[in-house]
Amino acid sequence: MAKRRSSFGKDTGLQARMVMTMFLLGLVYVVFVGVLFAAGAAAGVIVVVALVLLLLQLFGSDKIAMATMGVKEVSPAQEPELHGIIERLCVQADLPKPRVCVIETSMPNACAMGKSQKSATVCATRGILDLLEPSELEGVMAHELTHVINRDVMVMTLASFFATLASMIAQFALFFGGGFGGGYGRSNEEEEEIMLVLLVSVLVYAISFLLLRALSRYREFAADRGSAVLTGRPSALASALLKISGTMERVPTQDLRRAEGMSAFFILPARTKKSLMNIFADHPPLEQRLAALERLESQLQSAA
Amino acid sequence: MGLRDIITGRHEVKGPAPDRLFAISTAYISLQSEHGIDPAGVAAIVFQALATSEFEATLREMEEVVKATGGESGTTVSTQDDSYGYRWMVLRNPESSSSVEDLAVGINAVASSIETAGHGERLLCAVFAFTQRAPTAGGAGGGPVYFIYNYKRGFWYPFVPLARSPGGAAGAAEASRDGQRATERELQLKAQMSSELPIEPELERWFPLWGIPI
Repeated sequence: MAKRRSSFGKDTGLQARMVMTMFLLGLVYVVFVGVLFAAGAAAGVIVVVALVLLLLQLFGSDKIAMATMGVKEVSPAQEPELHGIIERLCVQADLPKPRVCVIETSMPNACAMGKSQKSATVCATRGILDLLEPSELEGVMAHELTHVINRDVMVMTLASFFATLASMIAQFALFFGGGFGGGYGRSNEEEEEIMLVLLVSVLVYAISFLLLRALSRYREFAADRGSAVLTGRPSALASALLKISGTMERVPTQDLRRAEGMSAFFILPARTKKSLMNIFADHPPLEQRLAALERLESQLQSAA
Repeated sequence: MGLRDIITGRHEVKGPAPDRLFAISTAYISLQSEHGIDPAGVAAIVFQALATSEFEATLREMEEVVKATGGESGTTVSTQDDSYGYRWMVLRNPESSSSVEDLAVGINAVASSIETAGHGERLLCAVFAFTQRAPTAGGAGGGPVYFIYNYKRGFWYPFVPLARSPGGAAGAAEASRDGQRATERELQLKAQMSSELPIEPELERWFPLWGIPI
């Protein structure tokens, strides 16, 4: 694209951190695959199984999530305002219109699902529709649409492939190689090999878990930024985040427990407890997100 | 969007596509003469108004320019915000002479001054209002027909809202709120006009605009 003036500055720092995280993740995976091949035959089967699981996850996860969450697709006649907001954002983002769904729960939240732009779904809960003003809802929906544009579900699923594989192998190895009367007709050498694969798998899983969480947080920042760029109103999203987080503490726990599995898709994680350490969180802390939005707003205001 | 953009999660809003706005200023002739659709003498441009003093200043300047150029032909300008927070700048021909060309020139002046100010990505669409002259099989007789120009894609598409209660004598604006659209009529218009207007090829991007204030 030709250089043109933009209302917002570049955010190279965020992109650099994201690429760095992906690079580290890739590095861990390369070592892991190397060890797997060195270990030999049985690993091949696991890779195939994991590949099948990955495909299932890519093509079925949104359907499973939607079925367990009680997500209902709504027509423009049922939710004219929500549809109107999303349609205008789609024009703005040059995006085909995703399916629009509503979850009947009082917890205010929103999420995006689907592996590609064509098959995307955006959901809003009844709580968020009641809670937010149109401009704030627009900011939240723009955040979710940016997830769709950035193909975040696809990126995160692919990025976590080897982490899933490693955790499977660790479980397999524990079952068949380790404790339970293993060692029938096995030489010491084979025992050692299994132990090595087990160790590496656990290690890979631990490291990639942290890296994946970091990656997820960066994608959230990117989606916040995308929302601001799309709507031109960073402060509307900030206000929405404040409102949502204010009510997140007062929601009934039963809903939260049901929603816990979906938290990676949500705009704010569905949790009542404060997390122990930020490195385990899949969403960045609210203060940081607000600060980033504030920076965008001041960039906008001073872009004369 | 390339692989690199996917990996870095970077996304900038597209600016306007190559301009095909002026296609309407010739297409309306055959709409009028062959298809019984008269220009209503009103058009609007829809965009996101940034809440910055700089953008507001641009808007004020632009309104002056449009008023000045429209002065000779008698075109009036009015501004309003809709419930979604988008701003509509409505250009209205005088009763005596409706001229689609004048409207297109005015709309284009607004669009290009927003673009020159560096906010081209804030443009959403332009809407030209028409009136169906005689009742048709599609049931849209006498009702409004809109042609919407999508700035991001540079394509036109027709939008024909249906009155909610067919027998009711509700006003046009009232009837076009959150209702049904006459898809059959729109598809007919696509077939009739595709040689003269660059029509949006993907039907799923024919986004409706309910509650059009013109």
